[in-house]
This record gives sequence, C-alpha cells and structure tokens, in this order.
Amino acid sequence: MARYVLGRIGQAAAVLLLAFTVIFWGVSILPTDPVTIFVAKGEGYFNPDVVTQVKGFYGYDRPALEQYFTQLNHLLHGQFGFSLSSGQAVTDRIGSVIGETLKLASTATVLALIFAASILLLATTGKVEWLRTFIRSIPPLFSAVPTFWLGLVVLQVFSVQLGLFSLFPDGSLASLLIPALVLAVPISAPISAVLLKNAEATLALPHVNTARAKGGTPGWVIRKHVLKNAAGPALTVTATTIGALLGGSVVTETVFSRSGLGTVLLQAVSNQDISLIQGLVMLTTVVIVGANLAVDLIHPILDPRVTKTQRRGFNTALGRFA
Amino acid sequence: MIRAKKSIALALAAVVLAGCGGGQQPAQGAGPTGEPRQGGTLTFSDVQFVTDALSTNYTTANLLFQVVDRLVYIDPKTGEVSEWLAKQFSRNDDATQYTFTIRDGVTFSDGTPLDAEVVKANFDQLGKGDEGKKIPAFSDFVGYDHSEVAGNTITVFLNRPNTNFYKVAANGRAGIRGLSTLARDYDGQAKIENVVGSGAFVYESQIPDQEVKLRKRPDYAWPPASSPNQGAAYLDELVVRVIGEPGLRAGAVQSQQVDLARGIQPTDEPALNQGGFQVIPVAAPSLTVNLAAFRIGNDLVNDVRVRRALQLGIDRQAVVDTVLSDSYRASDSVLGHDDPLFTDVSADIGYDPEKAASLLDEAGWKVGADGIREKDGKRLDLTLAASNQSVVFRPAFEFIESGWRELGIELVNRAGDTTLFNQANTDPATPLLGTRTGYNIGLGLLFGRDKGNLTFTANDDLIALSNEELKATDPAQLKDIVAKEQQEIIDDQLALILWDEVQVHAAAPNVHIDFTNYTEPLFQSAWKT
Repeated sequence: MARYVLGRIGQAAAVLLLAFTVIFWGVSILPTDPVTIFVAKGEGYFNPDVVTQVKGFYGYDRPALEQYFTQLNHLLHGQFGFSLSSGQAVTDRIGSVIGETLKLASTATVLALIFAASILLLATTGKVEWLRTFIRSIPPLFSAVPTFWLGLVVLQVFSVQLGLFSLFPDGSLASLLIPALVLAVPISAPISAVLLKNAEATLALPHVNTARAKGGTPGWVIRKHVLKNAAGPALTVTATTIGALLGGSVVTETVFSRSGLGTVLLQAVSNQDISLIQGLVMLTTVVIVGANLAVDLIHPILDPRVTKTQRRGFNTALGRFA
Repeated sequence: MIRAKKSIALALAAVVLAGCGGGQQPAQGAGPTGEPRQGGTLTFSDVQFVTDALSTNYTTANLLFQVVDRLVYIDPKTGEVSEWLAKQFSRNDDATQYTFTIRDGVTFSDGTPLDAEVVKANFDQLGKGDEGKKIPAFSDFVGYDHSEVAGNTITVFLNRPNTNFYKVAANGRAGIRGLSTLARDYDGQAKIENVVGSGAFVYESQIPDQEVKLRKRPDYAWPPASSPNQGAAYLDELVVRVIGEPGLRAGAVQSQQVDLARGIQPTDEPALNQGGFQVIPVAAPSLTVNLAAFRIGNDLVNDVRVRRALQLGIDRQAVVDTVLSDSYRASDSVLGHDDPLFTDVSADIGYDPEKAASLLDEAGWKVGADGIREKDGKRLDLTLAASNQSVVFRPAFEFIESGWRELGIELVNRAGDTTLFNQANTDPATPLLGTRTGYNIGLGLLFGRDKGNLTFTANDDLIALSNEELKATDPAQLKDIVAKEQQEIIDDQLALILWDEVQVHAAAPNVHIDFTNYTEPLFQSAWKT
C-alpha cells in the first residue's frame, strides 16, 4: 500500500513538472508578454522604456531558459512569484479567494451527488413508465444546458423580476445555494449518467433478483444491493469532474458576481500572467491528482471486489492497477 | 436581502423625482434637487474589482477618487483647471515648471499632514519609479525631472515641456497618498486596504472580487473648489459592488439592489427610462473619442485609400441611431465635442459607400468569388480587438460590418475579448484596435510616436506638431496646433472615427449624483432621499 501511494505521489510530481513546462513554454511563444500587457494596462499606448524597467524588476529580461529554471527553483521553494495582472503576490491573489471557490464547489458537488442519487432512485423505482423515461432523459438535458444561460435566466427571473434573493452574495444561504445549484446541473450530468447505466446493469444481476425474491422493497434493493455496486464508477467520474467544476465556476462566479478562482483564472489567462497561471495550474493539478488518489483509495471500501491480492497494486474486476 | 417589490406610491414618487429620465446633464448633478439629505448608504456597481490600486482604468479611478485627493480638479462645467489640494497653481511660459501651493490643514486618514514634502515624495515616485519597491515610472509624467519644496509650495521641473501636466495632476494615478503607503512595495501599494489618502471616504472592508466598503470621513473639509458640497460627504457609507455581466447591472438598479451602476447597455436604457429610473450619460471630454486605430504596418491597412474607404463605409449617425442610443453622439474628430480643443474635421469622412468602393478599386482590391475583396492573394478580412470596458463596441461593429460586407470587406469582430485586446494592445498584428484613451502625453505623440502607440508607425508631421503642442501654454495657440493634429490624423486616416466617449450610468430615482470630467462619480456630493 505504501509503495502504491508513493508511486502515485511520484506520478503526481511528474505530472506537475510536465504541466509547469508546458504552460511556461506555451505562454513564452505567444507574441506579447505579461510585462507589456501590465504596462499598457488596457490603454491605447504604453511607454517602451517603462516596459524595459519592469522587465528588469521581475527577471523577464533574462533568456527564456534561465527564466524557466529560475521559476522552477522558486516554485520548489514555495515561491509562486508576483502576479502582474492583479498587482499582488500569486499566493495572496489565490489565497484571498480560494475559500469562496471551495465553498461553491463543495456545495455544488454535494448537490450534484444528490441530483444523481435522486435521478437514480426515481428512474429505477418510479411507478409511472413515462415519468421514468423522462427522468432517464434528464442527464443529457443537464449536460446540454449552458451554465451562463441558466445562471442569467435564474437571476433575471428570480432575483430581478421576483426579488426572491439578492443578485450578489449577501451571506445568505440562498446566495450560496442558487449558484451552487446552477453549477451542479452540468456536473451532475455525467455522474448520474454513469450511475444510471451501472445501476441498470446491476439490476440485471442474479443477486438483485434474489434480494427481490426475499421480499425487499424497491428502495431497499436499490440502497443495499444496487447503489453500492454502481457507486464505484460514479465516484471515479465525480473525481474527473473537478476540471469541469473549475471551468464551470469561471462562468458561475462571473454571472453571480462571486469571487473565486474562476475569476482569477480568467484574469490570469486574459493577461498572459504567467506566474498566476502557473500558480493556478499547480493548484488544480494537485487537487485533481489528490482527488483521484483519494478515489482510488476509497474504491476498495465501496466495492469489495477490489481486493489487495497482489504484492503491488490492486486487482479489480476491471483489471489490475499497478 | 433587498426586495424588488415596491409600492405603487413609491413608484409614482420615483417617476416624479426622476424628472426627465434620460439625457440629463451630469455636470449639473442628476436626480432629485433641493436640500441635500444627510446619511445613508449608497451602493454603486462597477464592472470589475480593483485588485491593483495603481492601475489606471475607469474602475480603479472610480474607487480611488473617493479615497485619494489630487492637486487640481478639472471643473466639469467649464473644462477649466481649478483648485483642490493646491489652493494656487501656476506654470512658466514653456510648460516646463509647474508650481502648486498646498492647502493648509489637510490631513490623511491616518492623521498625518498632507504638505508639500508629501506631494514631492509622491511625484518623485510617480515620475521616476522606485526600483527597490518595483514601482515603474508613470508614463503620463513625461519628462519629470525633479521637484523642489519651499514652505508649502512645490515646484515641479520637467526636462521637456508638457502643457498637459495639469491634466496629469488632475487624473487618477496622480492622487496623493500618505507616506505610509509610499513606503510599501508595489504589491503593498496595490492593495486598496493599504491606500492612505485624504479623500472624503476611508477604506473600511472588502470581500475580494466582490465588494469594497468605504465610510465617510467626518472631518473632511478640502473638496474640489467646484464641488457642490464644500464639506464632508452627505452619505455615511459607500459600497462598491462588482457586477461583471452588463445585463444584470441594469437589472440590479431596476430591482433596487444597487443605487447606481456604470456600464449600462443601450438596449437596457428604454426599460430603465420607462421604469422611472435615471439614465445618465456622462461625457469624458478629456479622452479621445471611441475609435478604431489602424496598425499602419499591417498589410491590409497600410494604404491610406483602404483606411479612408473603411471610414467612408461607416454611417456614424446610423450607428448611433440604430445600435446606440440618445446617450451617444457621433464624432466629428478624434476629440469629442465637449473637449475644449475639439475642432470639426468631419468634412472628408462623411458616409459615402460609392466613393469607398471606388477607393478600394483604385487601391487594387477587387471583389473575389465569395464577395470579399482580394489583392495579391490576400482577402480583405480585418480583425477588430476592443476592451470589455466598453459595452457597445461589439454591437456597433456588428452594424458596421453589415455595411462593410456590401463593400466586399469582411470583419472578424472580437470586441470584448480581453485576451485578444491585451495582445492587440501591444502587438500590431491585429489591424484594428477599438479604444478610447487619454492623451496626456500629447495628441500628436499618441498617434505619431513610432513605438508603443496606437498605430505602431512613426508620423513625422505629428511628431513635429506634438513638439509645438506640448509647449503651448496660450489656449488659442494650443487649440490651433491641436486642430492641425486632428486634421492630420484624419488626412492620414490613422483611425476610424466613431462616437464620443460616454459612460452611461443608471441610477435609482432617489439618488442625486454628480460626476467628474473623467466620469468618476463624485460621491462626496451625492445624497439619497
């Protein structure tokens, strides 16, 4: 197990280095640079002498290879550098808003899981055939709804027209739940689709028939004998939605005037703010790798078929994981 | 949570108070008149959050203006330079020395005095930058050499003339900060919570990327000489909230969740007017008009005949009538109608599609199989970049594109795409840059300098004129020179002339609000009934 975890951490470090390298060189080959954008500040002109001055401040006047290794060295020492687009240290810029994104993203994930579980329950235990069919069609519908459109409609109707809640985050539960609901809609789509598919496959298995024959109610059968089996792949999908969650939060945070990493990401990319982009990519990579690692570790608890029968890695019904 | 529902009586009262909804003159103050009401909180919605208090865009200026005072003030009613922190000011004949006598008794919010020495410390940092603190020199401080203090008087010495230095001193970045702020590095000074000013409001709290709260400074007694209120602010508290989505800003005013919002779309104006809300177009006569600068080195637009044809293919008045609103005015020069230096040079740029077509033919651009003109294997398809600070560039160019297409010109309209705009600002590969900008470095230099300007190509005639412009202290002489520059810009068609710069605001009927010459809300004189 320890070797497995260490191996995974090693893989994560390699992914981080690769991400850093790709981003650095990707941004470097663009025709403009973050310093010129910083000095121009969206005005129609800029002073080239000031650009030279600022390049000197932050080492952007050095050869690209030197910059690469300097930045890498700084990163290894926990220094993320200075974000030119926001005029703040990268750690300050990200640190000031990360809590808001965590709140929104975790609420949205919980809501997405509730959506998915509800869709599963209604689609498999519902008594009316047409309703079950309708509920089965919800996941593709959810994945097709553009987040910005849904957010704007919700705000226009319920906030501007009906005045049911504030356009801004005002500290109320509604001002967190509503954007989280909007964000949860597209996130829940792949989770519920996978959950439904696996549940349908599980429902056809003999042990479910046995459970039914024992006189179990549909809800009990689903909870005890279907959901647990079907949850594993859905959990994996949940971990892979973190990228979508961050992407969705760019839109949701903008539409709902919320602070968060989405807004920072937009600012970083718009301004070719390489330090800030690097900081965000490192953070996102760590979170995604961490989440996947966590899922891999939870998987055997949920699904007993995932067993530790090998000296190294896991052996599962789906294959061997080194 | 603020409820949108309101009583019919309140709505009726609002309509009466609003008077004539749109098109009000901000210089005289919009909204209810009479005896100002003391107290209350005003919520203002701007388009983005200020993460860098040293940046120079509209949003930063709107916030910093409330916290940090400046030496002089441009009176929006007259366009004249008037007193603020400086009770007297003068300059020498060739605009190389500026002398300001600082008002007595002014203090910063931390209790320290604001005197000539503090002003010098500010100007030295602005003019030369501070390498140790990673603070770059401010581009508008053209030719700043040094300052000398004698008593409470400071004299600024420039190593080349700059007739616009008063305008520079009246503008956002030149606000006077306390020594404790100046002692910080760039990232320390960039944080709004670290800005110590002498303004009518003081920083109170913030939620990053969402809102900033400012509270009134009760002992404030040094407003701009022409402010309608010569004492402390009437309002107790000011909340600046970000709404990035343009359509929601109007909705926020309509549902009474904010009192005042900037960046209102023309499409939202009728509903606001009908609902009894104020639509306030605030002119910005110190900036150029909205224009699309040509990057002259670009193959597609390096022929003046093509540039002229593109201009003649635009019906400026139709753009205003169709896509914009009564809040906007078609431009007749690169400077706006309200700029004291404006000269009408529109005789050669009237809408004339037939002449436009013949100019394109003459320049060798022939209509290809797909209806788009071609020359030497290149199609006449132009990309436009413009800032998201303007909500109207994109729709205006959608309209312009329809006319251009009939002339065989294709437009890739990427107005509002911040990524492209930032790139295009510093890279001449994009042929058209939509913008409006200050010209404190001199109108001639703005269009004529070879590097870092709008056209990326040197213009010797404009550079020669700018030398005259920057040392002209006689108003009549200055107007004459700037008139020649405006004509030169049109003769060479260095930019497409579009509409005068205006920032359209929406306000609740019960809000009385004035604006500055740079379109900043003057919250020090604002009040709510």
